[in-house]
Amino acid sequence: MSEMWINMGPQHPMTHGLWNLRVRIDGELILDVDPEMGYLHRGIEKISEDRHYNEVVTLMDRTCYVAGMAWEHLYILGAEKALHITPPERAEYIRTMSEEFQRIASHIMWYAAFVQDLGLMSPFLYGMRDRDLLLDLFQSYTGARMTYEYMRVGGVRNDLPHGFSDRARKVLDWLMERFKEYDQLCMGSDIFRRRCDGLGVLSAQDCIDFGVTGPMLRSAGVARDLRKDRPYSVYGRVDFDVARATTADVTGRYLVRMEEMRQSVRILRQVLDWLDRNPGPVMAENLPRWLGAPYAPIGREGYLLKREYPKGVGFAAIEEPHGEAAVYVVNEGGEHPYRVKFRSPVYVNLSAARKYLVGYHVADIPPIMGSVDVCVGESDR
Amino acid sequence: MTEEVLTPETSGNDNPVLWVARPMATAARQFLKSLIRPSTIVYPFERLEDPKFREEVQVAAGKPIGVGAVWDNYRGVHALNIATCISCNLCSFSCPDLCIEMVAVPGGNPKHPKKCPQIDYGKCSYCGFCSDACPEGCLSMTTRYELSVTKRSEMVYSPQKLFEVFERKLPMNPIRLERPANEDAILLDAPLCIGCNACARDCPTQCITMMDIPKPEAPAGAKLPRRIWKEPVVNDSDCVRCGTCISVCPKECLFWGTRT
Repeated sequence: MSEMWINMGPQHPMTHGLWNLRVRIDGELILDVDPEMGYLHRGIEKISEDRHYNEVVTLMDRTCYVAGMAWEHLYILGAEKALHITPPERAEYIRTMSEEFQRIASHIMWYAAFVQDLGLMSPFLYGMRDRDLLLDLFQSYTGARMTYEYMRVGGVRNDLPHGFSDRARKVLDWLMERFKEYDQLCMGSDIFRRRCDGLGVLSAQDCIDFGVTGPMLRSAGVARDLRKDRPYSVYGRVDFDVARATTADVTGRYLVRMEEMRQSVRILRQVLDWLDRNPGPVMAENLPRWLGAPYAPIGREGYLLKREYPKGVGFAAIEEPHGEAAVYVVNEGGEHPYRVKFRSPVYVNLSAARKYLVGYHVADIPPIMGSVDVCVGESDR
Repeated sequence: MTEEVLTPETSGNDNPVLWVARPMATAARQFLKSLIRPSTIVYPFERLEDPKFREEVQVAAGKPIGVGAVWDNYRGVHALNIATCISCNLCSFSCPDLCIEMVAVPGGNPKHPKKCPQIDYGKCSYCGFCSDACPEGCLSMTTRYELSVTKRSEMVYSPQKLFEVFERKLPMNPIRLERPANEDAILLDAPLCIGCNACARDCPTQCITMMDIPKPEAPAGAKLPRRIWKEPVVNDSDCVRCGTCISVCPKECLFWGTRT
């Protein structure tokens, strides 16, 4: 049998976005793969240099469109360090709550897309239906369903509306029932298990060598979670476990993500209780006026030359739904960040594709790549 | 490591039929539920903002919250009240996408026409910074979300068109942000000022008055600078901090700062 290269992508149902997986095959066997990314490059890091600190938040929602809150949180943590601003405690709790809701929404989105890659249509529809409730919750306090623009340097835009926590608790109770259903549909199905078991194995050592993070690393048995290892926001004050599996294959990643959603519900219940008990301001006091918070930034370049600006750099890393994301904000003085650099976990996880695809069959590519949880908007930025 | 390691259930070697039948039973249960209460709505004929979707009993497929109940603060198309707009430019300044342009509206003094925001919805990202920045609350976002047009030029909403949206009295975003306590003020670099009145003329709130200052004695052998002997005085309580005076000042003698 002769070998040949085939292109899976940039327009292929497996890719979940625009990227190209070049595969060298011999019959059905994968001999080599070459992931090509960059089709969705929008220059977000460069555009950020020309925007006010708060305006960059609008880009963060578009960086990863299924995990917008997590990226907003990441950028805001970095920007606040660079600008030497401390947010009030209640704002930190609201941010944590938003990130955990986003984690559930992102994982449900992953579940829906992943099972559809396997050809299962019903779980896809259930997943999208359940995610809609989370989007409704987001809309009830941010005003938008996916592009929230909610967090600001120094806090969050507005406080939670009346009756929010009751609605949120109802949704959480309902979702816990749905998670059982998901497991019945997938883990309870022999067809699903035969399709997924033992596929795409990436050992713990390989994960560490390639810098692979997130559920892929935890499915290989490494209990690495930035929320636990380097607590940011209020994660040090909530009680939760790090989900971990040892199989390092597609089934393991499924189990880790399902357990993470349950742990997120556990975190959310604690955070909602705290928010009920502790009203307070959600925006830091004594913000510099030029920062424009809570108002929008004021004045274009050139109007405000006679100011004194603080300088600084900020680094922040969070456990995003896809893995470990990091941001580095350089504040050289002025209304705009001098440089904003992001580390995207998906980019790294995809780059290791050769390690976990070679040796399997062509029909195994959709489940394996589906289990990676690709978000191209985030990897290409 | 205290956490438990997740392990998948062992595959159903004992009874493979059960392992296929169980997920099918789950799907069948959902199917029967959806026959009674479907998860979807018939969109153009029913809308999520309809009052009937606010009640939990009406919500499809046993969903725990009413979808429409969370609808009020949706960020959709803007509504502009031209009558209260003071042409302060703040919405235009604050727009990250530069989609707001201040255009003249008919009526008023033809030499200095009133300018109101015109929004290009082809660029707008619905971030809401403009309505947050509006000091008079005349530009706010409504729950209107249907924007399909046949020509690209129709995506540009003139102030009159935005006013039509306002006249529909749609539910508006109820969240209004408070002004920060430590607002900066407009300060004057007095030696640079020539008293030209440009700031006072263009101030949208007329909070700047030109006050007479005494003409100093010319030092021996030197001339006094040629200028009008007046200086702007800003009334901080009326000022909306739009920065128009700073941008029109020909000598760049106005700047932001903390009033001592």
